[in-house]
Amino acid sequence: MTNYIPTIGVEVHVELKTKTKIFSNSINGYGEMANSLTNVVDLGYPGTLPTLNEEVLNLAIKAATVLNCKIRRQMHFDRKNYFYPDNPKNYQITQFDTPIGYDGYVEIEVDGKTKKIEIEEMHIEEDTCKSTHRGTKTLLDFNRAGVPLIEIVTKPCMESSKEAKLYLEKLKELLFYCDISDCKMEEGSMRADANVSIRKSESDPFGTKCEIKNIGSISNVGLSIEKEIIRQQALLERGETFKEQTRRYDDKLGDTVLMRVKETGNDYRYFPEPDIPYLYVTDERIERVKEDIPMLPNERRKKYMDLGVSELNANKLVQNRSLSDYFNTLLEEKINFKIASNLLLGDIAAYLNKHEKNIENTTLTKERFIDLINNVDDGTLTSKNLKDILDTVLDNNLSIKEIIKESGIKNITDDGAIREIIIKIINDNPESVKDYKDGKDRAIKFLMGQVMKETKGSANPKIANEILTSELNK
Amino acid sequence: MKDKLSKEEVMHVAELAKIKISEEEVEKYQVELKQLLNDVEKINDVKGYDEDILIAPWTDKTSLRKDERGIMLQPKEVLENAPRHSGNYIEVPVVISEGEGA
Repeated sequence: MTNYIPTIGVEVHVELKTKTKIFSNSINGYGEMANSLTNVVDLGYPGTLPTLNEEVLNLAIKAATVLNCKIRRQMHFDRKNYFYPDNPKNYQITQFDTPIGYDGYVEIEVDGKTKKIEIEEMHIEEDTCKSTHRGTKTLLDFNRAGVPLIEIVTKPCMESSKEAKLYLEKLKELLFYCDISDCKMEEGSMRADANVSIRKSESDPFGTKCEIKNIGSISNVGLSIEKEIIRQQALLERGETFKEQTRRYDDKLGDTVLMRVKETGNDYRYFPEPDIPYLYVTDERIERVKEDIPMLPNERRKKYMDLGVSELNANKLVQNRSLSDYFNTLLEEKINFKIASNLLLGDIAAYLNKHEKNIENTTLTKERFIDLINNVDDGTLTSKNLKDILDTVLDNNLSIKEIIKESGIKNITDDGAIREIIIKIINDNPESVKDYKDGKDRAIKFLMGQVMKETKGSANPKIANEILTSELNK
Repeated sequence: MKDKLSKEEVMHVAELAKIKISEEEVEKYQVELKQLLNDVEKINDVKGYDEDILIAPWTDKTSLRKDERGIMLQPKEVLENAPRHSGNYIEVPVVISEGEGA
Protein backbone atom coordinates (compact mmCIF):
# COMPACT_ATOMS: atom_id res chain seq x y z
CA MET A 1 0.00 0.00 0.00
CA THR A 2 1.29 3.47 -0.88
CA ASN A 3 2.29 5.73 1.97
CA TYR A 4 0.19 8.85 1.99
CA ILE A 5 1.00 12.13 3.72
CA PRO A 6 -1.94 13.42 5.75
CA THR A 7 -2.61 17.16 5.96
CA ILE A 8 -4.64 18.33 8.93
CA GLY A 9 -6.03 21.69 9.93
CA VAL A 10 -8.01 22.31 13.10
CA GLU A 11 -10.72 24.84 13.91
CA VAL A 12 -11.58 25.40 17.54
CA HIS A 13 -14.50 27.28 19.04
CA VAL A 14 -13.99 28.45 22.60
CA GLU A 15 -16.62 30.05 24.83
CA LEU A 16 -15.26 33.05 26.68
CA LYS A 17 -15.45 33.34 30.46
CA THR A 18 -17.48 36.53 30.75
CA LYS A 19 -20.33 37.34 33.13
CA THR A 20 -22.67 38.35 30.32
CA LYS A 21 -23.22 37.62 26.66
CA ILE A 22 -21.40 39.14 23.73
CA PHE A 23 -24.05 41.62 22.52
CA SER A 24 -26.55 41.68 25.40
CA ASN A 25 -26.48 41.95 29.18
CA SER A 26 -28.10 38.58 29.92
CA ILE A 27 -26.08 36.04 31.90
CA ASN A 28 -23.50 33.81 30.20
CA GLY A 29 -24.17 30.58 32.11
CA TYR A 30 -24.30 26.81 31.68
CA GLY A 31 -26.57 24.14 33.15
CA GLU A 32 -29.48 26.46 34.02
CA MET A 33 -33.17 25.87 33.24
CA ALA A 34 -33.82 26.06 29.46
CA ASN A 35 -34.57 29.53 28.10
CA SER A 36 -34.00 31.22 31.46
CA LEU A 37 -30.88 33.22 30.46
CA THR A 38 -32.12 35.31 27.57
CA ASN A 39 -33.50 38.66 26.52
CA VAL A 40 -34.87 40.16 23.32
CA VAL A 41 -31.41 40.69 21.80
CA ASP A 42 -30.47 37.00 22.18
CA LEU A 43 -33.82 35.96 20.74
CA GLY A 44 -33.30 38.17 17.69
CA TYR A 45 -36.39 40.33 18.13
CA PRO A 46 -36.87 42.98 15.44
CA GLY A 47 -35.63 46.42 16.42
CA THR A 48 -33.07 45.23 18.96
CA LEU A 49 -29.46 46.30 18.58
CA PRO A 50 -26.23 44.53 19.59
CA THR A 51 -23.71 46.31 21.86
CA LEU A 52 -20.31 44.68 22.20
CA ASN A 53 -19.24 43.55 25.69
CA GLU A 54 -15.88 45.18 26.52
CA GLU A 55 -14.67 42.07 28.36
CA VAL A 56 -15.10 40.02 25.15
CA LEU A 57 -12.73 42.40 23.38
CA ASN A 58 -10.22 42.18 26.26
CA LEU A 59 -10.30 38.37 26.39
CA ALA A 60 -9.93 38.15 22.61
CA ILE A 61 -6.87 40.42 22.76
CA LYS A 62 -5.50 38.25 25.57
CA ALA A 63 -6.01 35.10 23.49
CA ALA A 64 -4.44 36.71 20.42
CA THR A 65 -1.43 37.71 22.55
CA VAL A 66 -0.77 34.26 24.04
CA LEU A 67 -1.28 32.65 20.62
CA ASN A 68 1.42 34.99 19.25
CA CYS A 69 -1.02 36.59 16.80
CA LYS A 70 -0.80 40.03 15.28
CA ILE A 71 -3.66 42.16 16.59
CA ARG A 72 -5.79 44.17 14.19
CA ARG A 73 -6.35 47.78 15.26
CA GLN A 74 -9.44 48.58 13.22
CA MET A 75 -12.12 46.03 12.53
CA HIS A 76 -15.78 45.43 11.92
CA PHE A 77 -18.20 42.56 12.29
CA ASP A 78 -19.93 40.66 9.47
CA ARG A 79 -23.23 38.90 9.05
CA LYS A 80 -23.05 35.26 8.08
CA ASN A 81 -26.44 34.55 6.57
CA TYR A 82 -28.07 31.15 6.84
CA PHE A 83 -31.53 29.76 7.42
CA TYR A 84 -31.72 27.52 10.46
CA PRO A 85 -33.73 27.59 13.69
CA ASP A 86 -30.66 27.87 15.92
CA ASN A 87 -30.44 31.53 14.98
CA PRO A 88 -33.74 33.38 14.53
CA LYS A 89 -32.07 36.50 13.12
CA ASN A 90 -31.12 34.28 10.14
CA TYR A 91 -27.55 35.47 10.47
CA GLN A 92 -24.73 35.01 12.90
CA ILE A 93 -22.63 38.03 13.84
CA THR A 94 -19.01 37.09 13.26
CA GLN A 95 -15.77 38.55 11.88
CA PHE A 96 -15.13 37.48 8.30
CA ASP A 97 -13.05 40.22 6.64
CA THR A 98 -11.22 41.51 9.70
CA PRO A 99 -10.47 38.83 12.30
CA ILE A 100 -9.01 40.39 15.46
CA GLY A 101 -5.93 38.11 15.44
CA TYR A 102 -3.89 36.67 12.55
CA ASP A 103 -0.53 35.08 11.71
CA GLY A 104 0.06 33.46 15.09
CA TYR A 105 1.47 30.17 16.29
CA VAL A 106 1.51 27.66 19.14
CA GLU A 107 4.63 25.61 19.85
CA ILE A 108 4.34 21.89 20.48
CA GLU A 109 6.97 19.24 21.26
CA VAL A 110 6.79 16.29 18.85
CA ASP A 111 9.26 13.47 19.40
CA GLY A 112 11.74 15.79 21.08
CA LYS A 113 11.49 18.50 18.43
CA THR A 114 9.72 21.84 18.67
CA LYS A 115 7.15 22.46 15.95
CA LYS A 116 5.25 25.67 15.35
CA ILE A 117 1.57 25.11 14.61
CA GLU A 118 0.66 28.14 12.56
CA ILE A 119 -2.54 29.99 13.32
CA GLU A 120 -4.14 31.49 10.27
CA GLU A 121 -6.58 33.69 12.17
CA MET A 122 -8.78 33.99 15.24
CA HIS A 123 -12.02 35.91 15.32
CA ILE A 124 -14.84 36.90 17.65
CA GLU A 125 -18.40 35.66 17.09
CA GLU A 126 -21.65 34.81 18.87
CA ASP A 127 -22.72 31.29 19.75
CA THR A 128 -26.07 30.00 18.49
CA CYS A 129 -28.88 28.43 20.49
CA LYS A 130 -28.58 24.79 21.42
CA SER A 131 -30.81 22.44 19.45
CA THR A 132 -31.64 18.92 20.58
CA HIS A 133 -33.21 16.52 18.10
CA ARG A 134 -35.98 14.28 19.49
CA GLY A 135 -37.80 12.08 16.98
CA THR A 136 -39.95 14.40 14.87
CA LYS A 137 -39.17 17.49 16.93
CA THR A 138 -36.22 19.76 17.51
CA LEU A 139 -36.05 21.47 20.91
CA LEU A 140 -34.41 24.87 21.24
CA ASP A 141 -32.70 26.37 24.28
CA PHE A 142 -31.56 29.98 23.82
CA ASN A 143 -29.40 30.12 26.96
CA ARG A 144 -26.40 29.54 24.68
CA ALA A 145 -27.52 32.08 22.06
CA GLY A 146 -25.18 35.06 22.21
CA VAL A 147 -22.52 33.43 24.39
CA PRO A 148 -19.22 34.97 23.27
CA LEU A 149 -16.92 32.73 21.22
CA ILE A 150 -13.52 32.97 19.66
CA GLU A 151 -12.79 30.71 16.72
CA ILE A 152 -9.15 29.76 16.23
CA VAL A 153 -8.18 28.42 12.81
CA THR A 154 -4.83 26.77 12.05
CA LYS A 155 -3.21 26.49 8.66
CA PRO A 156 -3.25 22.98 7.16
CA CYS A 157 0.12 22.36 8.79
CA MET A 158 -0.25 19.19 10.87
CA GLU A 159 0.73 15.77 9.56
CA SER A 160 -0.57 13.37 12.19
CA SER A 161 -3.31 12.86 14.73
CA LYS A 162 -0.59 13.09 17.39
CA GLU A 163 0.30 16.64 16.33
CA ALA A 164 -3.36 17.64 16.32
CA LYS A 165 -3.82 16.28 19.84
CA LEU A 166 -0.67 17.97 21.15
CA TYR A 167 -1.81 21.25 19.61
CA LEU A 168 -5.23 21.01 21.25
CA GLU A 169 -3.71 20.17 24.63
CA LYS A 170 -1.39 23.18 24.39
CA LEU A 171 -4.19 25.45 23.27
CA LYS A 172 -6.43 24.29 26.09
CA GLU A 173 -3.67 24.79 28.65
CA LEU A 174 -2.93 28.34 27.44
CA LEU A 175 -6.56 29.48 27.31
CA PHE A 176 -7.34 27.90 30.67
CA TYR A 177 -4.30 29.43 32.38
CA CYS A 178 -5.17 32.89 31.17
CA ASP A 179 -8.80 32.62 32.37
CA ILE A 180 -9.99 33.12 28.81
CA SER A 181 -12.21 30.02 28.88
CA ASP A 182 -12.82 27.08 31.17
CA CYS A 183 -12.26 24.85 28.08
CA LYS A 184 -14.60 22.05 29.14
CA MET A 185 -15.03 19.94 26.02
CA GLU A 186 -17.67 17.79 27.75
CA GLU A 187 -19.82 20.89 28.34
CA GLY A 188 -19.16 22.29 24.89
CA SER A 189 -17.19 25.34 26.01
CA MET A 190 -14.38 24.10 23.73
CA ARG A 191 -15.35 22.39 20.45
CA ALA A 192 -13.06 21.14 17.73
CA ASP A 193 -13.47 20.49 13.99
CA ALA A 194 -10.72 18.79 11.98
CA ASN A 195 -10.06 19.11 8.24
CA VAL A 196 -8.30 16.06 6.86
CA SER A 197 -6.89 15.31 3.42
CA ILE A 198 -4.14 13.02 2.14
CA ARG A 199 -1.71 13.11 -0.81
CA LYS A 200 1.09 10.93 -2.11
CA SER A 201 3.96 13.40 -1.94
CA GLU A 202 4.70 16.87 -0.66
CA SER A 203 4.97 18.16 -4.21
CA ASP A 204 1.38 17.08 -5.00
CA PRO A 205 -1.47 19.54 -4.49
CA PHE A 206 -3.59 18.95 -1.36
CA GLY A 207 -6.08 16.10 -1.69
CA THR A 208 -9.86 16.49 -1.33
CA LYS A 209 -10.54 17.42 2.26
CA CYS A 210 -13.22 16.17 4.60
CA GLU A 211 -14.30 18.05 7.66
CA ILE A 212 -15.08 16.23 10.90
CA LYS A 213 -17.39 18.43 12.94
CA ASN A 214 -17.93 19.00 16.65
CA ILE A 215 -15.64 16.38 18.14
CA GLY A 216 -16.28 15.99 21.86
CA SER A 217 -12.85 15.25 23.34
CA ILE A 218 -9.18 15.57 22.48
CA SER A 219 -8.72 11.78 22.34
CA ASN A 220 -11.66 11.52 19.91
CA VAL A 221 -10.01 14.16 17.73
CA GLY A 222 -7.05 11.79 17.45
CA LEU A 223 -9.19 8.72 16.81
CA SER A 224 -11.42 10.41 14.24
CA ILE A 225 -8.44 11.74 12.28
CA GLU A 226 -6.86 8.27 12.19
CA LYS A 227 -10.12 6.69 10.99
CA GLU A 228 -10.58 9.38 8.36
CA ILE A 229 -7.04 8.87 7.01
CA ILE A 230 -7.68 5.11 6.70
CA ARG A 231 -11.02 5.72 4.94
CA GLN A 232 -9.52 8.12 2.41
CA GLN A 233 -6.55 5.82 1.78
CA ALA A 234 -8.84 2.88 1.03
CA LEU A 235 -10.84 4.98 -1.46
CA LEU A 236 -7.74 6.25 -3.27
CA GLU A 237 -6.20 2.75 -3.36
CA ARG A 238 -9.33 1.51 -5.11
CA GLY A 239 -8.92 4.36 -7.57
CA GLU A 240 -12.09 6.10 -6.41
CA THR A 241 -12.51 9.84 -6.16
CA PHE A 242 -14.70 11.53 -3.59
CA LYS A 243 -16.33 14.89 -3.02
CA GLU A 244 -15.68 17.26 -0.13
CA GLN A 245 -17.91 16.27 2.72
CA THR A 246 -18.79 16.94 6.32
CA ARG A 247 -18.59 14.00 8.71
CA ARG A 248 -18.95 13.48 12.41
CA TYR A 249 -17.28 11.08 14.82
CA ASP A 250 -19.58 8.42 16.26
CA ASP A 251 -18.18 7.39 19.62
CA LYS A 252 -20.13 4.11 19.82
CA LEU A 253 -19.22 3.13 16.27
CA GLY A 254 -15.63 4.26 16.74
CA ASP A 255 -15.67 5.71 13.24
CA THR A 256 -16.60 8.82 11.28
CA VAL A 257 -20.00 8.93 9.59
CA LEU A 258 -21.26 11.08 6.75
CA MET A 259 -23.35 14.14 7.61
CA ARG A 260 -23.57 15.77 4.19
CA VAL A 261 -21.75 16.06 0.91
CA LYS A 262 -20.80 19.59 -0.06
CA GLU A 263 -22.43 19.89 -3.49
CA THR A 264 -21.88 23.60 -3.83
CA GLY A 265 -19.66 25.87 -1.80
CA ASN A 266 -21.34 27.41 1.24
CA ASP A 267 -23.06 30.58 0.26
CA TYR A 268 -23.30 32.61 3.42
CA ARG A 269 -23.54 35.95 1.63
CA TYR A 270 -21.30 37.67 4.19
CA PHE A 271 -21.59 41.42 4.45
CA PRO A 272 -20.48 43.98 7.07
CA GLU A 273 -22.76 44.19 10.13
CA PRO A 274 -24.25 47.69 9.84
CA ASP A 275 -25.52 47.69 13.45
CA ILE A 276 -21.98 47.76 14.89
CA PRO A 277 -19.74 50.63 13.76
CA TYR A 278 -15.97 50.24 13.44
CA LEU A 279 -14.16 48.87 16.47
CA TYR A 280 -10.72 50.25 17.34
CA VAL A 281 -8.08 48.65 19.54
CA THR A 282 -5.66 51.08 21.21
CA ASP A 283 -2.08 50.44 22.41
CA GLU A 284 -3.21 51.32 25.95
CA ARG A 285 -5.83 48.58 25.89
CA ILE A 286 -3.35 46.00 24.61
CA GLU A 287 -0.86 46.97 27.33
CA ARG A 288 -3.54 46.77 30.04
CA VAL A 289 -4.58 43.30 28.88
CA LYS A 290 -0.96 42.09 28.74
CA GLU A 291 -0.43 43.05 32.40
CA ASP A 292 -3.18 40.61 33.25
CA ILE A 293 -1.45 37.60 31.65
CA PRO A 294 0.00 35.22 34.25
CA MET A 295 3.24 33.23 33.87
CA LEU A 296 2.49 30.77 31.06
CA PRO A 297 2.74 26.97 31.42
CA ASN A 298 5.92 26.55 29.33
CA GLU A 299 7.77 29.17 31.34
CA ARG A 300 6.60 27.57 34.59
CA ARG A 301 7.81 24.12 33.52
CA LYS A 302 11.21 25.49 32.57
CA LYS A 303 11.60 27.47 35.80
CA TYR A 304 10.65 24.51 37.98
CA MET A 305 13.09 22.21 36.24
CA ASP A 306 15.86 24.81 36.51
CA LEU A 307 15.27 24.76 40.28
CA GLY A 308 15.74 20.99 40.48
CA VAL A 309 12.16 19.76 40.19
CA SER A 310 11.84 16.56 38.12
CA GLU A 311 10.19 16.78 34.69
CA LEU A 312 7.35 14.57 35.93
CA ASN A 313 6.67 16.81 38.93
CA ALA A 314 7.03 19.98 36.86
CA ASN A 315 4.34 18.70 34.48
CA LYS A 316 2.10 17.61 37.33
CA LEU A 317 2.41 21.02 38.99
CA VAL A 318 1.51 22.84 35.79
CA GLN A 319 -1.54 20.62 35.39
CA ASN A 320 -2.80 21.85 38.75
CA ARG A 321 -3.18 25.59 38.37
CA SER A 322 -3.78 26.35 42.05
CA LEU A 323 -0.78 24.32 43.29
CA SER A 324 1.36 25.84 40.55
CA ASP A 325 0.34 29.38 41.55
CA TYR A 326 1.17 28.53 45.17
CA PHE A 327 4.53 27.08 44.13
CA ASN A 328 5.27 30.30 42.22
CA THR A 329 5.18 32.29 45.46
CA LEU A 330 8.24 30.28 46.61
CA LEU A 331 10.44 30.74 43.55
CA GLU A 332 12.69 33.41 45.12
CA GLU A 333 13.28 31.41 48.31
CA LYS A 334 16.36 29.36 49.13
CA ILE A 335 14.75 25.99 49.73
CA ASN A 336 14.92 22.44 48.44
CA PHE A 337 12.44 22.66 45.55
CA LYS A 338 12.53 18.94 44.94
CA ILE A 339 11.19 18.31 48.44
CA ALA A 340 8.73 21.20 48.05
CA SER A 341 7.27 19.67 44.86
CA ASN A 342 7.17 16.17 46.38
CA LEU A 343 5.31 17.44 49.44
CA LEU A 344 2.80 19.46 47.42
CA LEU A 345 2.04 16.72 44.90
CA GLY A 346 2.16 13.88 47.44
CA ASP A 347 0.77 14.13 50.95
CA ILE A 348 -0.59 17.66 50.61
CA ALA A 349 -2.44 16.93 47.32
CA ALA A 350 -3.89 13.78 48.91
CA TYR A 351 -5.14 15.84 51.88
CA LEU A 352 -6.65 18.46 49.55
CA ASN A 353 -8.44 15.80 47.51
CA LYS A 354 -9.76 14.04 50.59
CA HIS A 355 -11.10 17.25 52.12
CA GLU A 356 -12.12 18.77 48.75
CA LYS A 357 -10.13 21.89 49.52
CA ASN A 358 -7.87 24.23 47.62
CA ILE A 359 -4.45 25.02 49.01
CA GLU A 360 -5.57 28.63 49.63
CA ASN A 361 -8.24 27.33 52.01
CA THR A 362 -5.70 25.66 54.31
CA THR A 363 -3.58 27.29 57.00
CA LEU A 364 -0.37 26.51 55.11
CA THR A 365 1.09 29.99 54.71
CA LYS A 366 4.21 30.38 52.65
CA GLU A 367 6.31 30.84 55.81
CA ARG A 368 5.00 27.68 57.48
CA PHE A 369 5.50 25.67 54.27
CA ILE A 370 9.11 26.84 54.02
CA ASP A 371 9.58 25.81 57.65
CA LEU A 372 8.08 22.39 56.90
CA ILE A 373 10.32 21.89 53.83
CA ASN A 374 13.44 22.76 55.85
CA ASN A 375 12.50 20.32 58.62
CA VAL A 376 12.17 17.54 56.06
CA ASP A 377 15.35 18.63 54.30
CA ASP A 378 17.51 18.46 57.46
CA GLY A 379 16.00 15.12 58.51
CA THR A 380 14.13 16.39 61.57
CA LEU A 381 10.93 15.04 60.02
CA THR A 382 10.81 11.61 58.38
CA SER A 383 8.14 10.84 55.82
CA LYS A 384 6.30 8.86 58.46
CA ASN A 385 6.37 11.82 60.89
CA LEU A 386 5.08 14.02 58.17
CA LYS A 387 2.03 11.83 57.59
CA ASP A 388 1.31 11.93 61.33
CA ILE A 389 1.36 15.70 61.67
CA LEU A 390 0.10 16.84 58.24
CA ASP A 391 -3.56 17.30 59.22
CA THR A 392 -2.48 19.56 62.08
CA VAL A 393 -0.12 21.49 59.83
CA LEU A 394 -2.87 22.14 57.31
CA ASP A 395 -5.76 23.03 59.60
CA ASN A 396 -4.32 25.11 62.42
CA ASN A 397 -1.90 27.95 62.87
CA LEU A 398 0.66 26.48 65.28
CA SER A 399 4.27 26.82 64.18
CA ILE A 400 5.91 23.70 62.76
CA LYS A 401 8.26 23.67 65.75
CA GLU A 402 5.33 23.62 68.18
CA ILE A 403 3.57 20.89 66.24
CA ILE A 404 6.70 18.70 66.28
CA LYS A 405 7.06 19.31 70.01
CA GLU A 406 3.41 18.62 70.82
CA SER A 407 3.21 15.47 68.73
CA GLY A 408 6.09 14.04 70.78
CA ILE A 409 8.19 13.21 67.74
CA LYS A 410 11.55 12.13 69.06
CA ASN A 411 13.59 10.94 66.22
CA ILE A 412 16.67 9.00 66.99
CA THR A 413 19.39 11.45 66.12
CA ASP A 414 21.86 9.92 68.54
CA ASP A 415 24.66 8.56 66.37
CA GLY A 416 25.56 5.83 68.85
CA ALA A 417 22.02 4.43 69.08
CA ILE A 418 21.58 4.41 65.31
CA ARG A 419 25.02 2.85 64.74
CA GLU A 420 24.15 0.03 67.17
CA ILE A 421 20.98 -0.82 65.21
CA ILE A 422 22.78 -0.59 61.87
CA ILE A 423 25.55 -2.96 62.92
CA LYS A 424 22.92 -5.48 64.02
CA ILE A 425 21.15 -5.21 60.65
CA ILE A 426 24.42 -5.62 58.74
CA ASN A 427 25.18 -8.77 60.71
CA ASP A 428 21.67 -10.15 60.11
CA ASN A 429 21.81 -9.58 56.32
CA PRO A 430 25.12 -10.86 54.94
CA GLU A 431 23.55 -11.47 51.49
CA SER A 432 22.62 -7.82 51.06
CA VAL A 433 26.05 -6.71 52.23
CA LYS A 434 27.59 -8.95 49.58
CA ASP A 435 25.21 -7.52 46.94
CA TYR A 436 26.24 -4.01 47.96
CA LYS A 437 29.92 -4.87 47.62
CA ASP A 438 29.14 -6.33 44.18
CA GLY A 439 27.79 -2.92 43.19
CA LYS A 440 24.07 -3.59 43.38
CA ASP A 441 22.50 -0.24 44.33
CA ARG A 442 19.21 -1.57 45.52
CA ALA A 443 20.93 -3.46 48.36
CA ILE A 444 21.51 -0.20 50.25
CA LYS A 445 17.86 0.74 49.77
CA PHE A 446 16.84 -2.59 51.26
CA LEU A 447 19.14 -2.13 54.25
CA MET A 448 17.85 1.45 54.82
CA GLY A 449 14.33 0.01 54.77
CA GLN A 450 15.34 -2.45 57.48
CA VAL A 451 16.76 0.39 59.59
CA MET A 452 13.51 2.37 59.28
CA LYS A 453 11.50 -0.75 60.11
CA GLU A 454 13.61 -1.48 63.17
CA THR A 455 13.32 2.12 64.43
CA LYS A 456 9.63 2.36 63.44
CA GLY A 457 10.50 5.22 61.08
CA SER A 458 12.04 7.37 63.79
CA ALA A 459 15.67 7.33 62.71
CA ASN A 460 16.87 10.56 61.13
CA PRO A 461 17.23 9.31 57.54
CA LYS A 462 20.14 11.58 56.70
CA ILE A 463 22.23 10.44 59.67
CA ALA A 464 21.20 6.79 59.23
CA ASN A 465 22.23 6.86 55.57
CA GLU A 466 25.64 8.32 56.40
CA ILE A 467 26.32 5.74 59.13
CA LEU A 468 25.09 2.84 56.98
CA THR A 469 27.34 3.85 54.09
CA SER A 470 30.37 4.24 56.33
CA GLU A 471 29.77 0.89 58.09
CA LEU A 472 29.31 -0.91 54.76
CA ASN A 473 32.55 0.54 53.44
CA LYS A 474 34.61 -0.54 56.43
CA MET B 1 -25.17 43.11 -19.96
CA LYS B 2 -27.57 40.17 -19.67
CA ASP B 3 -31.18 41.13 -19.12
CA LYS B 4 -32.01 38.13 -17.00
CA LEU B 5 -30.49 35.58 -14.63
CA SER B 6 -30.13 31.94 -15.62
CA LYS B 7 -32.64 29.41 -14.31
CA GLU B 8 -29.89 27.82 -12.23
CA GLU B 9 -29.06 31.10 -10.51
CA VAL B 10 -32.70 31.61 -9.54
CA MET B 11 -32.99 28.03 -8.26
CA HIS B 12 -29.82 28.51 -6.20
CA VAL B 13 -31.25 31.61 -4.52
CA ALA B 14 -34.50 29.74 -3.82
CA GLU B 15 -32.52 26.89 -2.30
CA LEU B 16 -30.63 29.29 0.00
CA ALA B 17 -33.91 30.87 1.07
CA LYS B 18 -35.38 27.39 1.59
CA ILE B 19 -38.41 28.13 -0.58
CA LYS B 20 -40.07 26.14 -3.36
CA ILE B 21 -40.94 28.03 -6.52
CA SER B 22 -42.89 27.02 -9.62
CA GLU B 23 -41.62 27.00 -13.20
CA GLU B 24 -43.53 30.22 -13.98
CA GLU B 25 -42.10 31.91 -10.91
CA VAL B 26 -38.58 30.94 -11.95
CA GLU B 27 -39.10 32.68 -15.29
CA LYS B 28 -40.59 35.75 -13.58
CA TYR B 29 -37.70 36.01 -11.08
CA GLN B 30 -35.09 35.57 -13.81
CA VAL B 31 -36.09 39.04 -14.99
CA GLU B 32 -37.07 40.66 -11.67
CA LEU B 33 -34.02 39.62 -9.68
CA LYS B 34 -31.75 40.78 -12.48
CA GLN B 35 -33.44 44.20 -12.44
CA LEU B 36 -32.88 44.38 -8.68
CA LEU B 37 -29.22 43.50 -9.09
CA ASN B 38 -28.80 46.16 -11.75
CA ASP B 39 -30.25 48.75 -9.40
CA VAL B 40 -28.01 47.69 -6.52
CA GLU B 41 -24.94 47.77 -8.74
CA LYS B 42 -25.36 51.54 -9.08
CA ILE B 43 -23.76 51.74 -5.61
CA ASN B 44 -20.47 50.86 -7.27
CA ASP B 45 -20.58 54.22 -9.07
CA VAL B 46 -20.31 56.13 -5.78
CA LYS B 47 -16.84 57.64 -5.42
CA GLY B 48 -14.91 58.58 -2.29
CA TYR B 49 -14.90 55.44 -0.17
CA ASP B 50 -11.78 53.83 -1.51
CA GLU B 51 -9.95 53.35 1.80
CA ASP B 52 -12.55 52.03 4.20
CA ILE B 53 -15.75 50.35 3.26
CA LEU B 54 -18.75 52.24 4.60
CA ILE B 55 -20.33 49.84 7.04
CA ALA B 56 -22.85 52.14 8.69
CA PRO B 57 -24.43 55.46 7.82
CA TRP B 58 -22.25 57.23 10.41
CA THR B 59 -18.54 57.26 11.16
CA ASP B 60 -18.49 57.10 14.98
CA LYS B 61 -16.55 54.27 16.54
CA THR B 62 -18.58 51.56 18.24
CA SER B 63 -19.47 51.97 21.89
CA LEU B 64 -18.63 49.19 24.31
CA ARG B 65 -20.76 47.81 27.13
CA LYS B 66 -19.45 46.96 30.61
CA ASP B 67 -19.67 43.25 31.46
CA GLU B 68 -22.60 43.77 33.87
CA ARG B 69 -25.79 41.80 34.20
CA GLY B 70 -29.14 43.24 33.21
CA ILE B 71 -32.75 42.14 33.37
CA MET B 72 -33.62 38.90 31.58
CA LEU B 73 -36.91 37.49 30.35
CA GLN B 74 -38.77 34.81 32.28
CA PRO B 75 -38.95 31.48 30.39
CA LYS B 76 -42.76 31.97 30.28
CA GLU B 77 -42.31 35.25 28.40
CA VAL B 78 -39.82 33.62 26.02
CA LEU B 79 -42.32 30.89 25.14
CA GLU B 80 -45.27 33.27 24.67
CA ASN B 81 -44.43 34.00 21.03
CA ALA B 82 -43.37 30.47 20.13
CA PRO B 83 -45.98 28.52 18.14
CA ARG B 84 -45.13 25.36 20.10
CA HIS B 85 -43.15 24.48 23.16
CA SER B 86 -42.22 21.38 25.08
CA GLY B 87 -41.57 22.12 28.75
CA ASN B 88 -39.34 25.17 28.72
CA TYR B 89 -37.99 24.39 25.26
CA ILE B 90 -39.19 26.02 22.05
CA GLU B 91 -40.28 23.26 19.71
CA VAL B 92 -39.79 23.27 15.93
CA PRO B 93 -40.14 20.53 13.30
CA VAL B 94 -37.10 18.25 13.27
CA VAL B 95 -34.13 19.66 11.43
CA ILE B 96 -32.26 17.00 9.50
CA SER B 97 -28.87 18.47 8.83
CA GLU B 98 -26.84 19.19 11.92
CA GLY B 99 -23.87 21.40 12.46
CA GLU B 100 -24.97 24.55 10.66
CA GLY B 101 -23.86 27.90 11.91
CA ALA B 102 -21.14 28.19 14.52
